[in-house]
Amino acid sequence: MLRAALAAVCLALWLMSAPDEARAQNGAPLERRTTGLHRHDGVLSASVGLQDLFGPVERQRLTSGFATRVLIRVYLHREGSAEPVAVTFQRSEIVYDIWDEKFRLRIARGAGGSAEFRREVKSAEEAIHESTTFWQFPVAELRRLQPGARYFLAFRADLNPISEELLSDVRRWLVQPARGQRRVGAGDSVFGSFVSIFVNPRIEDSERQVRFLSQTFVEPAR
Amino acid sequence: MRVFLPLVALAVTGPIGASAAWATPDTDASEELAAGSPAAEPPAPEFQDPAFGPSYVIESIEVRGNRKTETSLILGELAAVGLHAGDQVGASDGRVEAARFRLLSLGYFLDARLSVGRGAKRGGAVLLVVVEERGTIVINELFLGTSAATAFWGGVDVSETNLVGRGINLGAGFVGSTRPITEGAVRGFGIRGHASVPELHGPGISLSITGLLSDGSELFRVSGSDSDPDPRKFTAVHTRRGGGILGVGKTLSRSLRVYADFREETVSATVPDRMRMLGSGLLVPIDFGVRDGYSRVGSITATAELDRRSDPVLPRSGYRLSASAELATSWLASSYTFGKFMAQGSIYRGLRWGHVLGFHALGGAIIGDAPYFDQFFIGDLNLLMPRRALGLNFSTLPSRNVLGTGIAGHRYDDYAGRLLVEYAIPILRRHGFVYRGDFFVAFGPLALGSSGDFEGRSVSWSTLPLDLTADVGLRLDTYVGVFTISIANALSRSSF
Repeated sequence: MLRAALAAVCLALWLMSAPDEARAQNGAPLERRTTGLHRHDGVLSASVGLQDLFGPVERQRLTSGFATRVLIRVYLHREGSAEPVAVTFQRSEIVYDIWDEKFRLRIARGAGGSAEFRREVKSAEEAIHESTTFWQFPVAELRRLQPGARYFLAFRADLNPISEELLSDVRRWLVQPARGQRRVGAGDSVFGSFVSIFVNPRIEDSERQVRFLSQTFVEPAR
Repeated sequence: MRVFLPLVALAVTGPIGASAAWATPDTDASEELAAGSPAAEPPAPEFQDPAFGPSYVIESIEVRGNRKTETSLILGELAAVGLHAGDQVGASDGRVEAARFRLLSLGYFLDARLSVGRGAKRGGAVLLVVVEERGTIVINELFLGTSAATAFWGGVDVSETNLVGRGINLGAGFVGSTRPITEGAVRGFGIRGHASVPELHGPGISLSITGLLSDGSELFRVSGSDSDPDPRKFTAVHTRRGGGILGVGKTLSRSLRVYADFREETVSATVPDRMRMLGSGLLVPIDFGVRDGYSRVGSITATAELDRRSDPVLPRSGYRLSASAELATSWLASSYTFGKFMAQGSIYRGLRWGHVLGFHALGGAIIGDAPYFDQFFIGDLNLLMPRRALGLNFSTLPSRNVLGTGIAGHRYDDYAGRLLVEYAIPILRRHGFVYRGDFFVAFGPLALGSSGDFEGRSVSWSTLPLDLTADVGLRLDTYVGVFTISIANALSRSSF
């Protein structure tokens, strides 16, 4: 009994102490991308590219004829503080017209989505560029930044994000048998079962994600 | 338990990688950001315009990638959201995403994608559905253990969840054991077959049928103290059971399901002519909890389940509630008349750093004359003891009795309750074989008793049927399923 318990604990400790990707991925610094910063008309703006949100597969899917959505969040952080000073969004929708052979874009900026504009482009590259490139993207009013303090921007881009509720439903469907059926045994119980084996594809809250940080900058005296 | 406390402490102080939303190398905020706090992850505003982009008339629908699953089943899912040949579909139509997730919800596909190609005339389109099928053989449970009474028991329960491509779930499980060393015991064997079909369009109900056949022994104490697990101080009731359950289920909302089950079973028991010798030398009759010879169990059960957890494997928030009521009566050809009521609830609350606090409560009551195999069993309550496998018990181990109460004398009873507090810490998050892993600690009290427990006895701490149970370990969500590596799992499978 004791031997079995000790074996379980040793395995647990080994798993915990193994150099896992969690720390390589989560504990290690996020990529830094040099970001253009502009101060104009009392607004801090940023210029940077997030085109790597689209890989070859995602680029090909742009011509599916159905909408592809891109959500980009930008956070302004003061160094040393967990609470962002400001958060802003850009949401884009791209559809390909299979008869006219052109891409239509709808892009909205800001939390309220008030600044919405539409555009038509001919190629997938142009559509990706329009939806993922920031050129003097307004991030925050300069009056919210304290002169002499150090700040950085954090970017997160999601391709076809799905809601938390839908994500939870999909996970439940994958763990349980087909809709409405009950699982035999205790495989999904919180305690007790050692194993429940099934093909368990990873479902993310979006199809692809890009995260990075800007360089740290000091707000100049005004 | 005392042995493991230092190990638990060691585990807690080990390197823990938080579930990161952001990690910054040079700020004090990095840990806070890594926890994915609400401030760091505000919900994005809605951005839906179903009218954006062109619309097409669906001239035909093509399905690709379904080597096993019937095309008609996939077309049925599209039809359920209103996508048929002849319909109009917009480029930003919400039905497209709904159809995709309906297909994924079947559980037969790793992925499903919808696209359109040009139709025969301008404005027309061919709707193309490409699916990637997943393996549909599922191992539901592994039975494996050894105890002082039974040298070995083992078995497995396996299901095919998409039989002949029609979504039929067909499975079977078995468990076998060596002969327990208790007098009169026989080798145990149990087999369970089960089949179910997913919710049918129209009535929207799922149907299931389960058959169970078992031949084994239940062990009852004839001498020695309640805490003495020596199997030679027990006698065996040889019980053979055969029967089945016919069930229907209906999903009332995305998180609420109800089920009704009709059960019929025949029981053949050989009850030994033995009495229990108490420490004082007094002989008292043993309640074997089953009729000698042939008897039947017939019952109907209603169950409701509300599941609003954020995740079925490693929940971070939400709750799950379930309640059931089973009624067995001579009207259903039952030799036993009883009502069995159970309620269970779990609630999860996310804390800083991605840690999760969970509370689990379970309560049950039986009114009437239930056979022992329908009563609450200590092994099903106490995480540190072997659970029953397909209704068969292979151990004489009493509850661990951490509190020095009278729990050791309780094995099968009519009332049960358990409270557990669980603290989970995310330690693994990687892309690859292991998706996520939580280190968890859980503990709490349990109680198991019957209405006559205190008749003719004074109530004191040493007679209360209370105990503590606990578990410490890892819960892993991997590409091939869910694994729990814990102390309770180890102890419950080697119960000496």
